[in-house]
Amino acid sequence: MAYHGYGAAPGGFPPAQQDPMYGYFAAVAGQDGQISADELQRCLTQSGMSGSYKPFSLETCRLMISMLDRDYSSTMGFNEFKELGQVLTGWRNVFASYDRDHSGTVEGHELQQAIAGLGYNLSPQAMNIIMKRFSTNGRIPFDEFVSCCVKLRALTDQFRRRDQSQTGHASFGYDDFIQVTMNI
Amino acid sequence: MAYHSPYRPPPHISHPPDQGFLWNIFQRVDKDRSGVISDSELQQALSNGTWTPFNPVTVRSIISMFDRENKGGVNFNEFAGVWKYITDWQNIFRTYDRDNSGFIDKNELKQALTGFGYRLSDQFYGTLIEKFDRQRKGQVAFDDFIQCCIVLQRLTDVFRQYDTDQDGWIQVSYEQYLSMVFNIV
Repeated sequence: MAYHGYGAAPGGFPPAQQDPMYGYFAAVAGQDGQISADELQRCLTQSGMSGSYKPFSLETCRLMISMLDRDYSSTMGFNEFKELGQVLTGWRNVFASYDRDHSGTVEGHELQQAIAGLGYNLSPQAMNIIMKRFSTNGRIPFDEFVSCCVKLRALTDQFRRRDQSQTGHASFGYDDFIQVTMNI
Repeated sequence: MAYHSPYRPPPHISHPPDQGFLWNIFQRVDKDRSGVISDSELQQALSNGTWTPFNPVTVRSIISMFDRENKGGVNFNEFAGVWKYITDWQNIFRTYDRDNSGFIDKNELKQALTGFGYRLSDQFYGTLIEKFDRQRKGQVAFDDFIQCCIVLQRLTDVFRQYDTDQDGWIQVSYEQYLSMVFNIV
């Protein structure tokens, strides 16, 4: 069959429990209990979510918010933040398993393997485009890897919604295409 | 249909600038006198009205639009195109920045894009501001406004490539979809 599946959400999610993350979240969130991209950036750094890697860029934080932003508020509440934490941990583990020299970056072919490991079955051509887009001098830092995963997940999600019968093809009207793509 | 309408900057009937005038500008911008204006030279010459550097992504887009030799810059001949392009955008920006704030807010953005022929939801304009506003003001400065329009234009162009029967609909495989979009966003 032409298409083998869109790929799985990363990792399995541990059961919800009293969350130490709440402290970090509350420290930056205002009275409305929501955080914006720059607050998320601080929060992720302080809570150690970026691991030993460089702090996330503001652009990547904006992407992470939009990935889980179901009410189009461009901000993130605590539940979304928790969900993000779990997703990030999964991606960080995958990345770390390929960053064997602990340089904070992976090479092009390792990115390919990492993406395949996340369940995405992409052709070499598609992977080439992705590698060109996210690598600098043939290497991909963790921040860009996360950016790639967020976009891949969002695009796949949007595609899936328009291919309910899983034929591997979807139809997009122009207005819809523009809005869906820009939302990422 | 929305995307058949012209979305490029509407043709501005301006007198072509005097060559001497353009040459003066070119020389001032081409600081190292290499005969080619680089990304950084153009960036330094442009203002977005915020005292912060002009969006480098926008600068790159503009240079690559007019750089016919893939040299990473524009020579004097190509610069005429750059000058006109930016002047046209300045006129558009001034037209739609109705309150003369130096920024385009959500409503003004809606007017501008509707004027270009886009038919987009109200909520979407908020998304665009959020996505392109680098000053974090909830409004877009000149450079970010251009960037927004360039991306919309690119997406429209790629959509058109696939819409062979021009009915406003495309049917694409998952791979095609990723390739279309990953090159742009």
